[in-house]
Amino acid sequence: MIETIGADVIKGVNNMGRFARFVLEVTKAAAWSCSRTRTYPLIWAQMHLIGVRSVPVVMITGAFVGMVLAVQAYDQLAGMGLEEHLGVLINISVVKELGPVLAAVMLAGRIGGALTAELGTMNVTEQIDAVRSMGTDPVRHLVAPRVLACLLLTPALIIFADLLGILGGYFVSVIQMDINNRAYWNFSAQGVELWDVSIGVIKGFFFGAAIAAISCYKGFTCREGAHGVGQACTEAFVASFISILALDFALAVIFKGIYNTFWPVRSLV
Amino acid sequence: MEKAKGNKQAADASGDGILALKNVTKKFGDNVVLDDISLTMEKGKTTVVIGPSGCGKTVLIKHFIVLLRPNMGEIYFRDRRIDNLGEHELDKIRTHFGFLFQGGALFDSLSVAENIVFPIKQHYKITDRSKVDELVTTKLALVGLDGFQSHYPANLSGGQRKRVALARAIALNPEVILYDEPTTGLDPIRADIINELILKLQRGLGVTTVVVTHDMTSVYKIADRIIMLHHGKIIADGDAEHIRNHPDSIVQQFIKGQVSENDLAVLRMGGSIIQAQLQPRDELEE
Repeated sequence: MIETIGADVIKGVNNMGRFARFVLEVTKAAAWSCSRTRTYPLIWAQMHLIGVRSVPVVMITGAFVGMVLAVQAYDQLAGMGLEEHLGVLINISVVKELGPVLAAVMLAGRIGGALTAELGTMNVTEQIDAVRSMGTDPVRHLVAPRVLACLLLTPALIIFADLLGILGGYFVSVIQMDINNRAYWNFSAQGVELWDVSIGVIKGFFFGAAIAAISCYKGFTCREGAHGVGQACTEAFVASFISILALDFALAVIFKGIYNTFWPVRSLV
Repeated sequence: MEKAKGNKQAADASGDGILALKNVTKKFGDNVVLDDISLTMEKGKTTVVIGPSGCGKTVLIKHFIVLLRPNMGEIYFRDRRIDNLGEHELDKIRTHFGFLFQGGALFDSLSVAENIVFPIKQHYKITDRSKVDELVTTKLALVGLDGFQSHYPANLSGGQRKRVALARAIALNPEVILYDEPTTGLDPIRADIINELILKLQRGLGVTTVVVTHDMTSVYKIADRIIMLHHGKIIADGDAEHIRNHPDSIVQQFIKGQVSENDLAVLRMGGSIIQAQLQPRDELEE
């Protein structure tokens, strides 16, 4: 029993070590790619696949988040006669928390799975070895463009999710629930600061980097066969999802600390 | 005695040897795949490594360009030790090699022409596109596939894929070409086309050739020297005549394609089990 637990712990630590080394290699390769203009076409191609094609799904996610929040919170606030404050609740939740996290989860499913499956298949069909055999670093050629595209475009996609979340919330609150339009936006403008929006967007850089790094690592280390690729995709999504939640918690604590340091007193509503 | 011969060849790497392994051991967990292997590849010659499936042939060939690193031992290319180099230094060394992978390992998302241009783009700044197109045409013509530039790997047959992969492997004019099971999965005529190409490239370009295979027809056609691996060790090393007359029963069984008495006994026992399993289906059919 103790032996099994010990072996699992050692295996886990080894995996973490290998992942940390992979992340270090990717960081170096990404810095190298940024400094070489001839690698830019690879990054643009990934930006199209990862970013542009994810816009619709992320916008749909954002819109439904905003609408659901409005439907769920209306009764509670209306019961206290505070329904005009609904905009603050919806918009602050969307831009600070739910927009970034749910958009990132959608991206982990859409992009993370695709990255792991693509690189995993390349791995089992010896295409990654082929890249190495031709004197090219596969991390520079395959991983760095994907990580950079994900890192740079996840914040942009979060802005789209936020935008549609705000519009979705507005649609349900003002058009459906008949809340006063002017009051809705006035309270929203008072309650939501640039800082709140910035936090959500900054989180996107971390979420994007985590999704791409985990997915590429799982693809590079996947076992042979269809089962191996399938398992790697599942593991990549689960690991990305947990990382998004863990990073979200860590960043919330850090940003709260920063905010309290610079702006110690802040009115809530 | 064979091992001693191998050691001697590794020690003589400074002569005509372009590629050498010295006491290379490779393990995956507790499984020893290569066990103290020493050998030297002569410049401009074709060396064929044979052995049963799972004996470590692919692992051996991947060591020549350090796609796998040995647990013990040393690898030399042109008298320079390469197994202890970093990946970026190795990238330069690897441009002297062409590697034909078992399944071709063509990039699915790229066309045939883009696959062949890939290694050139990685190492040279392309200023004149027409020269590159001309080079692609030359390489494809060499493998008999000129006109297939815009095709994608998914639209090619197994033999065509291997030929395109070979055109890509020779894109950088390598000094050494490594072939991993080049004729596996091909019909006898397509397999012979690949054999002819291997000979054509070796004779025409003077490249050093290392082939890993278990196709004995191919072996006798292309080999200057044959090495047989068994359980991670070299058990035979010499020309075709030497291998044909080798006294070791394992070598003889392999080159004649004969199953051993032990394996036959296992099969006979398995046969009776199969018969027993078929009975319920027979009953169902009635």
